[in-house]
Amino acid sequence: METPEGIALRLRPAGMMPRAAAWAIDFALRLAVLWVFAIALALLGDLGVAVYLIVLFGLFWLYPIAFEVLHDGQTPGKRAVGLRVVNANGTPVGWVPSIARNLMRTVDMLPLLYCFGLVAGLIDRNSRRFGDMVAGTLVVHVDSPHGHSTAPDVPAVQAPLLLPAAEQGAIVAFAERARQLTPERQQELANLLPQLTQARGAVAVQRLLGMASSFLGRQ
Amino acid sequence: MKQEVFQARHDAEWSALDQWLVKRTRPSAKQRGRDADGLFGDLEFPAMYRRVCQHLALAQRRGYSVLLIDRLQDLVHRGHLVLYRPPAPRWQAVIEFFGADFPRLVRHHGRAMGIAAVLFFGSFIGVIVAMQYRPEFAHSLFDAGELARFEAMYDPANADAKLGRESGSDVKMFGYYILNNVSIGFRTIAAGFFACIGSVYVLLFNGLFLGGVAGHLTAIGYGGPFWRFVAGHSAPELLAIVISGGAGLQLGMALIAPGRRSRGRAFVEAGIDMAKLALGIFGMLVFAAFVEAFWSSIGWMPDPVKFGVGGLLWVLILLWLWRGGRGVAHAA
Repeated sequence: METPEGIALRLRPAGMMPRAAAWAIDFALRLAVLWVFAIALALLGDLGVAVYLIVLFGLFWLYPIAFEVLHDGQTPGKRAVGLRVVNANGTPVGWVPSIARNLMRTVDMLPLLYCFGLVAGLIDRNSRRFGDMVAGTLVVHVDSPHGHSTAPDVPAVQAPLLLPAAEQGAIVAFAERARQLTPERQQELANLLPQLTQARGAVAVQRLLGMASSFLGRQ
Repeated sequence: MKQEVFQARHDAEWSALDQWLVKRTRPSAKQRGRDADGLFGDLEFPAMYRRVCQHLALAQRRGYSVLLIDRLQDLVHRGHLVLYRPPAPRWQAVIEFFGADFPRLVRHHGRAMGIAAVLFFGSFIGVIVAMQYRPEFAHSLFDAGELARFEAMYDPANADAKLGRESGSDVKMFGYYILNNVSIGFRTIAAGFFACIGSVYVLLFNGLFLGGVAGHLTAIGYGGPFWRFVAGHSAPELLAIVISGGAGLQLGMALIAPGRRSRGRAFVEAGIDMAKLALGIFGMLVFAAFVEAFWSSIGWMPDPVKFGVGGLLWVLILLWLWRGGRGVAHAA
């Protein structure tokens, strides 16, 4: 996705599992609110029933719309799971798209438990349900705060070459996954880069980890 | 330029933008009027944001470290969300919408609305007329229990009772009508998604159902209380059903006949109109629920007043849909 400023923005569409989890949290929350209201309004007689029915309407139709527009595209459930609704161009979702995507829940819900939405989401490249297609929206992962890398903390080593960002990223990813690999596999991978490490075996692995540290800005 | 020099030169700007985003992303109403202390002014934000965008492009091009690029990307992303967020809702926009945009939108989709009206009123009036000649037709539409319930609700024998309901006060029924009728309206719209089938079904079903009730009660001589009850809210409610059906039909047409657009594009365009129509239908149905709960159920009102008000509402709403927004410059 490219912004008008000519910057590539990374949008990572969320799959159906985290979205289902967010929906389940929202559903539980709405049930709880409804339950509290039911108890409080039972004391008020007919007026209470009227308020209860209107609250039910609000929780069913207006709750997702209001939260998505007024709360950075996040209902409480989506916030807990780390999701956000955005327009297809990455801008925050407005009233009209939000109304469209939430009205279409009626269709996605069919025949039961969001089956149509699930199938549409599994087929679509950006895992959009029908509502997202009609509204032109995406549900994306909120990027976690940066600067927390799980790469091992070793003294930084300057790389002998200037590497482009993608290759730096590959080396950082190697460092982050090093713990899950056997020492033999680590050495095998490090041996693929003789020009960069100017060494073989365990020394090459150490140099690569050091370079990852330097790319991450550690001393 | 070395990364250290680049970082040292611009670090202050990045921290300033970071702080501004933390403080001003969601300012409270009190703080919105003036700029934050110790930060750059709100009007300078777009320029600041674009400068950081440029820094990010430079950093990516020059192959600076992943960490720096991540930091700038995070700033840009947060800035993007603030710069392109939707404008705050204004009350005037609501008035403009109901006064001009909604009637205009209904007329814009005149063909879909016309088809919906023919489907609904055609089946509605057709059944009423058919039942005057073949009253036994009622038994093929409803079972005996349902018929008994309708008859009890509109029995002229207990004329002092509230019209049109078995029990429940006005305010309780208001809540019920909101939940029930608005949900039906919204479902009618969305049901059109599958090639119009759902909307056509809902329109025909409602036409036959309501026409069946009206026709049966008229045929057995209970027409008086029934028509007195429905006269008031019939205009907003029936027209809202027709408009919901029309909105569903235009959405379904995006699937059947997208024209010179891709289906995805056609869906998005139909979706925008659908959402706006839904907003208008919501307004109409809330109004209808209000009339139905607090006006239609009054039993003692003389007939001329009841039918006069009902007719007046038909004229006013049709006039509103027909003339609303004409001659006004199109809002941007």
